[in-house]
Amino acid sequence: MVKVIVNGVEVEVPSNATVLDAAEKAGFKIPTLCHLEGIFDEATCRICVVDIGGRLFPSCRYPVSEGLKVTTESDAIRKYRRDLINLLFATHKIKCWSCVRKGGACTLLSLAKDYGVEAPVVCSECMFFGIDCLVAKGQPCLGPLTIAGCDAECTKNGMPCIGCRGPITSAEVWKSAIEFYDDKVKKDELLSKIKLFWNKYMDMISRYVEVKR
Amino acid sequence: MECEFERSRERLDDDTFVSELVKKYGKDRSMLIPMLQEVMLRYHYLPRDILETLSEKIEVPIAEIINVATFYHQFRLEPVGRYIVSICFGTACYLLGSAIVYEAMRDAMGLKGDKHTTDDLAITIEPARCFGCCSLAPVAMVTSADGKERYVHGKLTPSEGRKLVRKYRAQALKEM
Amino acid sequence: MSLKIDEKTRKIIYGPKGFRIRIPIASCSLAAGVNSVRDAVVNAIESLGVEAEIYRVGCMGQCFIDPWIEIAKEGLPPAIYGNVDPNNASKIKEIIQNYVNGDLSEAMAVRFKVDGVKSPQELTELDPWKYQVRFVSRNCGLIDPESIEDYIATGGYSGLKRALEMKREEVIEEIKRSKLRGRGGAGFPTWLKWNLCYQQKSDVKYVICNGDEGDPGAFMNRLLSESDPHRVVEGLIIAGYAVGATNGVIFVRAEKPLMAERLAKAVQQAREKGFLGKNILGTDFNFDIVTYRSAGAFVCGEETALIAAIEGRSRSRQRPPYPAVKGLWGKPTILNNVETLAHVATIFQFGVEEFLKYGTERTGGTKMFCVTGSVKRTGVYEVPIGTTIRRLIYDLAGGAKEGKNIKAVQAGGPSGGCIPVELFDVQLDFETLQQYGAIMGSGGLVVIDDSMCMVDVAHFFTGFTLAESCGKCLPCRVGVKLLNQILGKIKEGEGKIEDLETLQEIGESIMKTSLCALGGTAPNPVISTLKYFKHEYLEHIERKHCPAKVCQKLVTYVINPGICNGCGTCLRSCPAGAIEGKPRDAHKIIAEKCLRCGQCMIVCPAGAVGKV
Repeated sequence: MVKVIVNGVEVEVPSNATVLDAAEKAGFKIPTLCHLEGIFDEATCRICVVDIGGRLFPSCRYPVSEGLKVTTESDAIRKYRRDLINLLFATHKIKCWSCVRKGGACTLLSLAKDYGVEAPVVCSECMFFGIDCLVAKGQPCLGPLTIAGCDAECTKNGMPCIGCRGPITSAEVWKSAIEFYDDKVKKDELLSKIKLFWNKYMDMISRYVEVKR
Repeated sequence: MECEFERSRERLDDDTFVSELVKKYGKDRSMLIPMLQEVMLRYHYLPRDILETLSEKIEVPIAEIINVATFYHQFRLEPVGRYIVSICFGTACYLLGSAIVYEAMRDAMGLKGDKHTTDDLAITIEPARCFGCCSLAPVAMVTSADGKERYVHGKLTPSEGRKLVRKYRAQALKEM
Repeated sequence: MSLKIDEKTRKIIYGPKGFRIRIPIASCSLAAGVNSVRDAVVNAIESLGVEAEIYRVGCMGQCFIDPWIEIAKEGLPPAIYGNVDPNNASKIKEIIQNYVNGDLSEAMAVRFKVDGVKSPQELTELDPWKYQVRFVSRNCGLIDPESIEDYIATGGYSGLKRALEMKREEVIEEIKRSKLRGRGGAGFPTWLKWNLCYQQKSDVKYVICNGDEGDPGAFMNRLLSESDPHRVVEGLIIAGYAVGATNGVIFVRAEKPLMAERLAKAVQQAREKGFLGKNILGTDFNFDIVTYRSAGAFVCGEETALIAAIEGRSRSRQRPPYPAVKGLWGKPTILNNVETLAHVATIFQFGVEEFLKYGTERTGGTKMFCVTGSVKRTGVYEVPIGTTIRRLIYDLAGGAKEGKNIKAVQAGGPSGGCIPVELFDVQLDFETLQQYGAIMGSGGLVVIDDSMCMVDVAHFFTGFTLAESCGKCLPCRVGVKLLNQILGKIKEGEGKIEDLETLQEIGESIMKTSLCALGGTAPNPVISTLKYFKHEYLEHIERKHCPAKVCQKLVTYVINPGICNGCGTCLRSCPAGAIEGKPRDAHKIIAEKCLRCGQCMIVCPAGAVGKV
C-alpha cells in the first residue's frame, strides 16, 4: 500500500493502482471516455488529465507512488478538458437524433453539459465533412466492430481505423458486438470483417455466428 | 496464352515465397516489419493478395498488417514505376520551391489528382521527407524500383525538373 | 581552433604513398556530382602519370563548396579545392597538374602551410571555420569512414579502453562531470538517464542509438555517421558498458541508406577487431550490436515510438514507465542520439577537461548545427554551446543570400519555433531557446528571408506534423488538423481576426495534453510565429495581402513580356480562360478572370510568369 495525496486528501491505495483509482477512493470524480477497466488503457482521449508536479498526465495510466501529490481540478484543467471535448465534437459525425445512444446514455453529451460546451449541430458544420470512407476505397475499416463503435473520424487519414479504443480483444465483447450488429450486417460481411481484424479467433467466432443463425 | 502461363507460374512462386518468409522469420508478430521489407524488395510494393496470404500464415489480422504498412513511409500499397523520383519536402527544400518543381514534374508526366505513377509504369513521382541534403535544396532522389540504383539531384528548377523526369522516363522505357 | 597536426595525422593526410587525393563520398557530395569528379581525377592521374592514391573520405560539413577535393603530396601543403566542376574533366586535370608543379593559387585553402611554398590561407583562418570547435566532427572529411585502422590511428577506441578500465559508476560519474546533455532534442542530462537504467535489476538491458533523424533541415547525424561511423559505435559500446547492457541497437531511417550501410560496416569491423562480442578487450563485458533499418516515420524519433518500431508495431505510448525502467521488450533501455554517443566516445578519448573548455554553466561542450535556407554558406558547423545565433548565421554561414534580407531563423524543425532577427544575439542553448519559444531540437537552423511567408511556414509545419502524427491521441490527431485548417483559411484570405485567438488556445491545449513529444511541441511553429510575426497574420486577414507573395490566393500573376515567347502553353492550360495572346507574341493575364491557381506558372517552359 502507498499513500497518495489527492487535492490535499490523503488516501492509501495498492501500489499497482492508478491515480484514477486513488482519486476515486479519495472521493473525487475524474471524467473518462476511452478508459475501460481491464480492456483499454492506452490513454488516447486525454480527458482524464490531472496535474502532477506542474505537468499534465492522464490519470488512468499514471502509476501511484509514495507521497505523490495530485490535483484533479483547477481552472486550467477545466479549460483543457473543455478544449478536448470541443475537439471531439469536431470529429463527431453522427447526428444526435440518429444515434443509438440517444436518450441520456451518451457520456460525451453529459460531459459537454458538465463543462459548459455547447454541443454543435454535428455533421452539417463538421470540419471534417467530406472525408472519404475507407471501405469505399477498398481499405479495411473497423467501423462497427470497435469498442467505441461510433463513426468517429479514422485515426489517420487513409489509414485503416482501429477505433479510438482499438479492435476488440476480448471474446465476450466481440460476442456482444456481433449481437449488436447482427441484423444490420450480412453474415458474410460480418465474417469477412472479423477476419480482417481478428483472424486468430476466427474459428471460434464463426462457430458462434453459425449457432446464432 | 503465354501471358496466362506467366501469371500462374508467378502465383505459384508467390505462395512459396510467403512460406519461405514465414519459415525464415517464424510466426512472429514482432518480425512483421522485416517481413514486409522483404516483400517490398521482391515486388517493390505490397500486393494485397500477398498480404492476405501472409496474414493467414502468421495469424495476424490483415487490418493490423495494413495499419503498419500505411504507418511507415517505406511501404506502399500501389505498384510503382521503374524509377521512383522523390522530391524532398523538407523545410529547406519547401521554402526554396520544391512544391513548384514537384508540380512541374507531375505536369511533364501528365499526372493528375491522386496519381503518382505513369500508366506505362515507367516513373513514379512523389513527395518525400528530408534526405539530409538540405544544402542542395531543392533536392530530388531517383531510385530504381529494386533500390539498386540511386541518384540525387540538387538545386533543381522547374524546367530542370521537367528535363529530369523526361530523361528517366525515356531510360525506363528503354530498359523495360 | 587550430587543428593540431601530429605525426599520426600527417600520415593520414599524405598516406603511405606520400600522395593522397581526398574525395568525399557522402550523400550530399554525391548529389553534387562527386562521382564524375572521381572519374575525372582517376583519368587525370593516369594520363599525368602521377603516383597518387585516391582516398575516400566523408564530408567536412562545408556543403557550399561541394563537390570538393583535397590534394596532398608530401612536401606540399594539403590543398582543398572547392566547387570543382564535375563536368569539366580537363579543368580537374589542370588543377592536379598545377598542384604537382607547386602552383596552389586555385586552391580555396590549405590544411597547414609548408615553408617555402606559396599557398592560400589555412582552413582554420577561413570565416566558415574560424569560430568552429571541431570536437566531435574532428575526423569528418579527414579519414576513410570505412576503415577502422584509420579511426584507431586518430585515437579511436582508446576511449573504450579507458572506460573499460573504470567501474560502471565511475563511467557514469565521468559523464555527469562533463555536463553532457542529450543532443537529440530535449537536452535531458545523459548521466541521469544512464544512472536510472544502471540501477534497474535485469538480466537483459538494451542501449539504442537513435539515428532516426527526421527533422527536415537537420542532417548532422547523417554527416557524422557517414563520415566517422566508428565514433558512434564506440560511444554506444561505452554506453552499453556503463548501464550494464548486453545488447545494442542502431536504429537508422530508411531515407538515409548510405548512413545505414556505413554504420553496419563499422559494427562488423568492430566485431572483427574484438571491440564487440564476448569478453571485450579481455574484460568480462559481453556486448553486441545489431543495426535496424527503420521503415521511416517521423514519430519514430520519439523514444517510445522508436521502441514500438523495433518491436514491429507503430505509435508511441504513454510515459511513465520510462524506457530506462521498462523499454524494449519490457527491459530497461536507454536511447541516445547519434551525436550524444559520438560525444561520449570523444570525451573518453580526450578527457572531460577538454570537453568542458566549451559550453555554458549548465551544458558542456559543443554542438553541431545545420544551417540551411537563405544563407551564403550552407553547411554543418560545430560550435560551443552558448554561441549566439548571429555568429553562426552571419560570421560562419555568411549571412543572407545576395539581394535578400534575413527576417528569422527557424530552430528545431517541426517541433521548434521561429526566432526573429531582432533576437539574434541570444545564445544557442537549451534553456535560452525554450524561453524564446523555440527548441534546440537536433540543431537544424533554417534561415528565412523576406521572400518567405511566416503564415506559410506555420502552415507547412502543421501540415508536416499532421501527416506524421501517429493518430493515437485526440489533441494531436484532431487539434493539429484544426490548426492546419485555420492556417489554410488564413492563407486563402478567408481568415477572421478571432482565428488568431483560437490558434493560440488550441495550440496551448495540444501542448499540455498530448501523449508524446510530437504533439507536445507541434504547435510551437504556430505559437512562435504568432508571437513575433503577428503583423504578417494581420496583413493576410485584414488586407487580404501576402507580403512575401507566397500565398497563392493572395497574389496577382503576371507574364513578363520580355521573357514570354508566346508558345501558348499557359493559354491552353488556364482553367479559367484568363490568358490571351497571339502565337509567338507575348501573352497577357486578365486579372478579373484569373482564379489564381498558379497553373500558368507551373507549366510555363520559359519561366515568364511571375507574381506581384
